[in-house]
Amino acid sequence: MTWHLLRDTARPGWQNMAVDAALLDLAAEGGDAFLRLYRWEPHCLSFGRHEPALRRYDVERIRALGLDVVRRPTGGRAVWHAGELTYAVAAPLVPFGGQKPAYAAIHAVIAEAIRSLGGDSALAEPGRALSPGAGPCFSAPVGGEVLIGGKKVTGSAQLIQGDTLLQHGSILLEDDQSLVRGLAGQGGDEPAEASLSQALGRMVGIEELSLAIAAAARRAFGPMTPISADSNRIATHLPRHQARFRDLAWTWQR
Amino acid sequence: MANVPDNLLYTADHEYVKRGAAPGIVTIGVTDYAQGELGDVVFVNLPKPGEKFSAHQAFGTIEAVKAVSDLFSPVAGEVVEVNAALDADPAVVNRSPYEEGWMIRLKVDNPADVDALLTPAAYRTQIGA
Repeated sequence: MTWHLLRDTARPGWQNMAVDAALLDLAAEGGDAFLRLYRWEPHCLSFGRHEPALRRYDVERIRALGLDVVRRPTGGRAVWHAGELTYAVAAPLVPFGGQKPAYAAIHAVIAEAIRSLGGDSALAEPGRALSPGAGPCFSAPVGGEVLIGGKKVTGSAQLIQGDTLLQHGSILLEDDQSLVRGLAGQGGDEPAEASLSQALGRMVGIEELSLAIAAAARRAFGPMTPISADSNRIATHLPRHQARFRDLAWTWQR
Repeated sequence: MANVPDNLLYTADHEYVKRGAAPGIVTIGVTDYAQGELGDVVFVNLPKPGEKFSAHQAFGTIEAVKAVSDLFSPVAGEVVEVNAALDADPAVVNRSPYEEGWMIRLKVDNPADVDALLTPAAYRTQIGA
């Protein structure tokens, strides 16, 4: 399996989701694998594919605050993408040995990257599954997610299309998820998440984390060829995905 | 070991097809193997009666432990009924994939298409059962 590394620029939510979906197309077509590292500009609230956002979050307040919003193609629950780095892996499932081994292998890379920065990361024990209506993503860890000091530092979700996987996740650098907790009416709750800067007692930058993840991924998966989001391979798949993720009927479907 | 009943037909995408609801109507759901691989099902998104699908076209999505997967129609046809009980209790797909956990009933365009699906023996070979 040939791996490609896409260290992307910051984009709006609808563009970010379209690029991830295009990478899934490419992985399905050609059997290549992609690791993408990116940020969100403007900062963005993303909902899970089946999350009942209309009844779970304060929609009026989201509108009043002028927040950028997108619905992901993957499962899970809401994430506020601000002081964080997002990773995406699009790849055939077979070389990983299936969906669950892929989830574990990718999180092992994230945990290893955090350890290389000095963080004492661990993977969450298997627990009960949470419904899409259970509230913000970072409010509770799910089995296999990356923790520091028992608190969730990475929230991930998957989309399986046939034998191909898209997994993306948010790694908190400095921001907490209090905004999304407040939108869910959980404003006074003790945060269940940790940021890397908090845990390490120093500022961890986007570039530092991005390089650490790329290095850990190369150690785990082998060499990676750089690729640009402007490449023709990706660009040809973008338009139909961009239309979907810009569509308010998609974002506010439930 | 995953349960592969002898009275059903199967697809490589891990759906099953059960005949017998009515002439030309089949019941479709995901196999015991599939529900085991997915893990705890937390949501099932199904089409509405009257919607038409071609063979291998996605008719819905299923979410388990933050992973969303497409559900593929085994044959071409029109949805005549969906299992509304999955809205309130999606985990029934885990508990009873072949009975209470069914997903849609389809009026098949061409009944001969059903004959071309995987036999229980062929499906057992595919999943290594």
